Amino acid sequence: MLVALGMTGLVAVLVRLKGAAGVEPHSGGWRELTSADLE
Amino acid sequence: MTQVAVVGVGTTGSHAARQLTQLALASLVIDDDDRRREARVAKAVATTLGRDAIGRGLSDHRDHPDVVVLCTPAGTHHRLATIWLQRGAHVVSISDDPEEVAALLDLDAVARQHDRALVAGAGFAPGLSCVLARFAALDLDAVEVISVYTAGTGGPACARQHHRALKRPGRDWIDGEWVLRRGGSGRDLAWFPDPFGARDCYRGALASPLLLQRVFPEARRISARIAASRRDRLTIRLPMLRPPHRDGGPGGIRVEVRGRRADAVETRILGVMDHPSVAAGTMAAVAVAEVLDGRIGAGASGLADHDDPKRLLRELRRRGVRAAEFSGVPEIAGA
Repeated sequence: MLVALGMTGLVAVLVRLKGAAGVEPHSGGWRELTSADLE
Repeated sequence: MTQVAVVGVGTTGSHAARQLTQLALASLVIDDDDRRREARVAKAVATTLGRDAIGRGLSDHRDHPDVVVLCTPAGTHHRLATIWLQRGAHVVSISDDPEEVAALLDLDAVARQHDRALVAGAGFAPGLSCVLARFAALDLDAVEVISVYTAGTGGPACARQHHRALKRPGRDWIDGEWVLRRGGSGRDLAWFPDPFGARDCYRGALASPLLLQRVFPEARRISARIAASRRDRLTIRLPMLRPPHRDGGPGGIRVEVRGRRADAVETRILGVMDHPSVAAGTMAAVAVAEVLDGRIGAGASGLADHDDPKRLLRELRRRGVRAAEFSGVPEIAGA
């Protein structure tokens, strides 16, 4: 029983630490601000 | 005869000192409890400013600095700021501890009484994060949501503060009140400017919301998250298990500001990818220049209070810290 609970807890910790893979929710990209943007 | 003093020349302070040599200073005083480090940084900056212009060890009776830049570990700034304001110096602090930043803002009356400026949170985040948020809000009629994400650390003191921040609760501004959120919770994947990429970010005791809420009290939600690795999260309740890196860079800032322009909802996303120690030191030096030029008035304030964020970003850009804007369109799932 204790072993089962321990294993469950360990798996839960690992899953929580690993998390889900993320995907960028946008298309597009980063553009450096130019002098014109900052005038 | 302008004199500036940098107190604490660790990783970030040494970058601040190097950046300050670009200002027309009569003298620059380097002060650190570690005398060897103090000597090393003084020698390095002397090559630019000249040996006669560099002083070592800030002395109460010998030195009368116009500005004191506090780059010591978080937790030491309030005492030093009080002392130097009362001695007639402007103070620029890079502390990122929210409780200390709040305490620094509470020195407003002291700063005004002595007709001096106290700039709180003039580093990476808060600091550069505040400038980016203010810039992003320029074209909006009303700001509704501000989300700040940061990744990376400066020197060892910054890494220790990062560790502390993750295990302490953070304050989010939600619908007109501060709400305590558990540190290390609220995973959110944030994309930083290339090539830094994506990092999982979590809540923690972070100071940016505090400084932004002063300026955007009408916002419904202001929050901040900080990137953490799996090991950071696993050891969140433990002391740091190994000495931190000398420089925890590179890192990044991502600031999302959502608001209204005319009748439309608009979101602007600004970011920076740089070494946090370099960007924080540069930000502090730019803040010093603004104080010396009289563009930051008497009293305690943050950099979000500055009414010309474009000017600050121009100055940062000139010094090599370059901001970027994410321009994209939402993708329809499955499309």
